[in-house]
Amino acid sequence: MTLKEQIKKILIEDLNLEDITAEEIADDEPLFGDGLGLDSLDAVELAVLVQKNFGVEIKDMEEGRPALQSVQALAQFIEDKQGK
Amino acid sequence: MANSVCVTGMGCLCAAGDTLDEAVTSMMAGERHAGDPSLFKSSQPQLFPVFAVRSLVPKAAEDVFLRTSQLALNAAKQAVEQSQWDLTELRKLKVGVCIGTTVGCTMDVESFYGDYRNGQDPEMLAIDCFVESNPATVISRHFGLNGPCQTIVNACSSGTDAIGMGAMWIENGLCDVVLAGGADELCRTTYNGFASLQINAAVLSRPFSADRCGLNLGEGAAVLILESETVRQQRQHVVAQGYVLGYGSGTDGWHLTAPHPEGRGLKQALQEALDRSGVEPDQLAFVNTHGTGTKDNDRVESLVLAELLPSTPFHSTKGYTGHALGAAGALEAAFCLAFLRQRQIPASAGFTGQDPEFSVTPVVENSAVVGDIALSESLAFGGNNAVLILARGEMA
Amino acid sequence: MTLLKQSMAIQGIGCVGGFGSGNDQFVSALKAGHTSATTVELNHPAGQQTLPALLANTDRLTDFVSRRSLRRIDHFSRMALLGGYLAIEDAGLAVEDCGRIGIIVASGYGATNTTFNFLGSIIDDGDSCASPTSFSNSVHNVAAAYLSMQLQALGPNLTISQFDLSINAALHNAACWLAQRRVDTVLVGGVDEHSSLLNYCYQRYFANSDAVEQIDPFDFARQSAVVGEGAAFLVLSRHADKAKYGFIAGLDAGDFSQRSTVEDSDLLLIGADGHQTCGAMYEQLPTAQSLLNCTPCYGSLPVGQAFDLAAAGLMLREQSCYGVARQQPVGCSAQSSFDSIASLKCTANDQFSLIRLSRRGGDDA
Repeated sequence: MTLKEQIKKILIEDLNLEDITAEEIADDEPLFGDGLGLDSLDAVELAVLVQKNFGVEIKDMEEGRPALQSVQALAQFIEDKQGK
Repeated sequence: MANSVCVTGMGCLCAAGDTLDEAVTSMMAGERHAGDPSLFKSSQPQLFPVFAVRSLVPKAAEDVFLRTSQLALNAAKQAVEQSQWDLTELRKLKVGVCIGTTVGCTMDVESFYGDYRNGQDPEMLAIDCFVESNPATVISRHFGLNGPCQTIVNACSSGTDAIGMGAMWIENGLCDVVLAGGADELCRTTYNGFASLQINAAVLSRPFSADRCGLNLGEGAAVLILESETVRQQRQHVVAQGYVLGYGSGTDGWHLTAPHPEGRGLKQALQEALDRSGVEPDQLAFVNTHGTGTKDNDRVESLVLAELLPSTPFHSTKGYTGHALGAAGALEAAFCLAFLRQRQIPASAGFTGQDPEFSVTPVVENSAVVGDIALSESLAFGGNNAVLILARGEMA
Repeated sequence: MTLLKQSMAIQGIGCVGGFGSGNDQFVSALKAGHTSATTVELNHPAGQQTLPALLANTDRLTDFVSRRSLRRIDHFSRMALLGGYLAIEDAGLAVEDCGRIGIIVASGYGATNTTFNFLGSIIDDGDSCASPTSFSNSVHNVAAAYLSMQLQALGPNLTISQFDLSINAALHNAACWLAQRRVDTVLVGGVDEHSSLLNYCYQRYFANSDAVEQIDPFDFARQSAVVGEGAAFLVLSRHADKAKYGFIAGLDAGDFSQRSTVEDSDLLLIGADGHQTCGAMYEQLPTAQSLLNCTPCYGSLPVGQAFDLAAAGLMLREQSCYGVARQQPVGCSAQSSFDSIASLKCTANDQFSLIRLSRRGGDDA
């Protein structure tokens, strides 16, 4: 499973997005607002999920905002952090 | 018209002091007694400062009550003493107890649960303690009272709601006297919970500042003796410490953890409290805000103050006590009455500079205030907002 | 009995529990006199055990709330939402009418499973991986918060935790709100949930009692409690003409030794739910007193009195006795008509809650 697929699986299973499938989430679809419709509580939950699953810390939402734009952006962020 | 509600006793303990006088003196001196958590261990990569009650030792395993209830009982004893009630006389009246809390009603039994989950057979002490520790029951039983007794669990507005409901019981003739307030202890669960929400600050909190970055947790308890003015007038020797003039509440119906962006419920609570008390905004000497120091809370409060009370001085005392959750509103109600008596409020602790987004600024130094009436606000998870309007008592 | 200055009209009733959901299913269970318990396995190395429990199913909630809106909402809050929505619907209110109603939720234990999930997330993954979603859904007022969000009920909103006396406390406050005309309508109810830890507590506390399958409500000396879960809500109105199920006319609570008389109501519905420690108080009621009990239909839970109020309202409306009667095996046909029912709940620490329902309301109640 690619990193992006893993992220989509986490989104659906751990944020309980039962009404959509992984295939329906585009890599560049905005996670918040009009896109997937996630909110501020999902953002901090996602920060914990990223730390738990990938060992990458998102310390605060100032730093996290660009990383949490889309599946694509989050995958890039995780790869950058893990690469260091 | 409804019975008016007089305050004849106030008890309080928090990081700023073990009594109301001590706490007020300490706040006026600008002291901020925060430190690393010592009541529990943490494996967080960074520590978040907390405001602990220094005089109360950590709860021992054999203690019958949770620390929260010990704090509540301590504050209640102080308040009853100040009110000069003879217990035999008091018990002849309809005396209610109404206490707000968060931790005091949660089956927050981490080690018990951990043992159970690991397949051990944990002893029932932790559950016994939870069952015995309902803060309102602990107080009611200690003083042998037989009136309505309830614990309000409205998250961070619990203390304000408890005083508001207690006052309502008197107004409606359901009680002669009510012991009303709030209590909460520092605990690992809330500490980790606020950290997980990324609103636990790693530095001392900076309410209403441009660079605010979250709240510090605190603990404590405050209890007010509320009594109908009719009852109080039969005790001429007893000084009125203050009056509860009005209580208002409003619900955001918006989000579990974020306040409504325009402060819908807070505006409703403010308006209801003003309407109920018949107080005009220009009569207010000052506002004690919720002022936790989180991005969202302070923005919403600033917005609402700018709209409804643009010229009223305001401050946050969270910088001196930390956010004591269910105790916060009760502590701050007691502070308001003490500040009105002194006709002075302490600077809003931790203010570092104006947020360009805000059109209002808290008081940055200890300031004299004009007037006999203050307003205190509380905002809570779940979108609960509660407001009390309090008036100065007679001179002691 | 302390009568309320202004009685509260019961405009709607909604409930969910081991018996199913909605008033029809509740009445069916009440007529049958019991609900069959599910067997819950307690998987614990200290000894595998099975215990009976009356568990609630909230699948019907999707009739009222979208799946998407439910995604973060746990079983505890779902029960409260379903009970609340059913009561609102039964009251003939549309969601659009809810803007200014008040909400009071009573819960003895709160959202225990989510509280334990949060503790579990810390135990498993460390303090820094605690789940913020679990934390914010474990606060005691979470059910009242979801009710306000879903119904857009922006009036006053309170959650009370007073174990077995939670319902009495909630009604006390509802009466104040209505008397002060802060609101005209209050949605008030109770919710509590089952958890495996609760089963463990039952096993530890009542280790020496015989195995039971059903509460034996009138054998006061026997421990026969069966864990129940669910939510029961009433819509209360200031307006007497809304009284579909009669009125809440009186409230009392305090030390059982100083209790008010219970004989002035036509029927006495007791909340004896198989707990020996409370049985001693029910035992003191006059033996000639005719007693009704509904606990075998919904189980043992701190907010059980909410179900008794729902049952009493339904009985008043239908002029039929439901549940179990001490004198007859099922039902109490002897009483042909009745105007009032008192609901009595006693606690393990010698406290009581007495709530009087009456067909007549207004100032003459």
